[in-house]
Amino acid sequence: MVFCVGCKTSGNARPVGAVEEIKAPLGLPLVPIPADNPPTAQTIALGRKLFYDTRLSKDNTLACASCHNPNLGFTDGRSLSLGVGGMSGVRNAPTLLNAAYSPLQFWDGRASSLEEQSADPIANPIEMNQTHKVSVSKISGNPAYKAEFAQAFGPGPVTLEKIEKSLASFERTLLSGNSPFDRYEYGGEKTALTPGAIRGLAVFVDPKRGNCAACHTIHPAYALFTDGRFHNTGEGVNGEGEFNDLGRFGQTKLEADRGAFKTPTLRNVALTGPYMHDGSLKTLKDVVAFYAGGGDSNPDLDKEIKAISLSGQDRADLVEFLQELTGEMPKNAGPPGKE
Amino acid sequence: MRPFPLFNLCLAITLLAGCSGKVNTEQPGAAKSAPAPLYFKVGPGTAAVVTGTIRYQGKKPALKLIDMSEEPACVEAHHGKAYDESLVVNKKGALANAFVYVKSGLQGKTFEIPATPVTIDQSGCWFRPRVMGIQVGQVLKVVNSDPVTHNIHPMAQINREWNHSQGAGDPPLARKFTKPEVMIPVKCNIHSWMHAFIGVLDYPYFAVSGDDGTFEIKNLPPGTYAIAVWQEKLGTQEQQVTVGPLGKAEANFTFKGK
Ligand code: HEC
Ligand code: HEC
Repeated sequence: MVFCVGCKTSGNARPVGAVEEIKAPLGLPLVPIPADNPPTAQTIALGRKLFYDTRLSKDNTLACASCHNPNLGFTDGRSLSLGVGGMSGVRNAPTLLNAAYSPLQFWDGRASSLEEQSADPIANPIEMNQTHKVSVSKISGNPAYKAEFAQAFGPGPVTLEKIEKSLASFERTLLSGNSPFDRYEYGGEKTALTPGAIRGLAVFVDPKRGNCAACHTIHPAYALFTDGRFHNTGEGVNGEGEFNDLGRFGQTKLEADRGAFKTPTLRNVALTGPYMHDGSLKTLKDVVAFYAGGGDSNPDLDKEIKAISLSGQDRADLVEFLQELTGEMPKNAGPPGKE
Repeated sequence: MRPFPLFNLCLAITLLAGCSGKVNTEQPGAAKSAPAPLYFKVGPGTAAVVTGTIRYQGKKPALKLIDMSEEPACVEAHHGKAYDESLVVNKKGALANAFVYVKSGLQGKTFEIPATPVTIDQSGCWFRPRVMGIQVGQVLKVVNSDPVTHNIHPMAQINREWNHSQGAGDPPLARKFTKPEVMIPVKCNIHSWMHAFIGVLDYPYFAVSGDDGTFEIKNLPPGTYAIAVWQEKLGTQEQQVTVGPLGKAEANFTFKGK
């Protein structure tokens, strides 16, 4: 390992501090933690600082938080994200709330962990557009960071791996549960949901009506509202029945994955519009209408989409239900220094 | 014998893959790859015309109110009451929205595909127009003028069946049909009362009867034709007409109600 600054395999940096327990709020399971990156107070704080730091972008204009803004449910409120210099991205920025539960990251699942994920936007030309080498040198050139990295990982240079691990540990604290739905379903609070939302929940789980839970799963003890898998809803198909963005197919080259995208969580969905991987549906009403119409036809349309059948009342109730999935926001998640 | 295993392999792959993608590549193009066909042009001194009136004999059906209450925005967009339009007869018994077309007599002639699209609008939570004709390969422009999402679904049997959702303010969709098919029923997957019917022909000789029941099919080459009429509730009828150069023929039809 000779001077592998900014290189994926740059060793086995391990946090040195005491392991911090991350508590799951009502309605969520324990957050999975990789063996080589137990969260510590130091790495979490470091990750938080990095998350809000524009130094990670080429022209010092963008931080992670520019596209994952805590005031917008950790999204950017745009259909497609804007990178440095106003470069338009090709996909909608997903929420980072509860992303820690996702076995694969990105709409197409191309990153297998939060650690692996975070290196991507930094160097992505249509996002932060800065080589990892430059990022590492900008961060390590800052004496405060240098000291914080040493506290978090022990002595040694700042590396991309340490940046990734810190960002990932911070992201593992971005948990949001205890929504009206959670208090109703898991907290025994029968008045936590409105009557319309209770009807909406029944539609949501009924395989003959909404069939939503076939993909946006609800477990008896917790609910992630995603199966972590990839499905074709027809969103983004063109007049020739083809997808400009092939989604999961780009990773697997499996025919059945053509136009398939990761099921997004629906927690906090009222805060995270516009919707879908291309941000083309503006409101929750639009999304529910999209499903009521049976999605958009194409050869690989998921069979679970075909099972959906919704009356006008069902649609209104579903929208009401989706609005009750807004949870409590995690503490200490905003810009550092502003508790 | 080399080409055969290869061909079979391709076939097998296509089948295994559930034909994904493949179905579509043939969609708009069929004519494109072939050398430009020789289009038939009707000589200026020869164009004939067939006109006529479609009538309905029998008790006029009672007005049937459409219940759009499940979509309040539709009720509003409609400004008042919406009535069923599956059988529109005026005071004099004239039948509107009948599709009239040349059913046979044009064999061997290839006609140019019009460059202008035919538009179907989702407006007031109806399809406008309700009955329409289009040529094979001509662009169908799908517009949504409503403040709600619609999902247009042409239930084609000969052409590819498809459905596509269109939100308020979304840009128009452009679609084509690749084969003649009379008629393709169209529904909105979201609003069960929305229906339309599209007749697809590979020549421009079709019309839809107006509120006064009349129709006109112009610019026909001289010849003998089967003229057919289709109405969504009443079925089909047909008769033969012969027109000479610059000729005029009449084809009137009467449907009997129950
Ligand atoms: C220019 C806007 C932009 C910036 C800056 C940005 N992201 Fe993202 N982020 C996106 C978009 C767009 C996606 C979805 C991309 C895709 O799926 O291909 C995404 C996806 C993600 C995901 C995957 C979430 C999921 O559910 O799959 C994570 C995690 C994430 N970003 C974290 C970060 C971190 C950490 C940073 C800073 C290092 C960052 N992002 C910077 C726009 C941005
Ligand atoms: C076959 C699996 C499946 C079923 C069934 C399903 N969804 Fe989805 N859902 C997805 C996928 C995949 C996406 C992302 C699609 C894309 O962007 O291309 C999605 C996206 C969404 C979004 C947008 C979320 C965002 O952040 O962009 C909402 C809201 C939603 N679904 C609600 C529902 C509702 C309500 C139902 C039931 C009527 C339902 N889903 C049924 C798989 C499914």
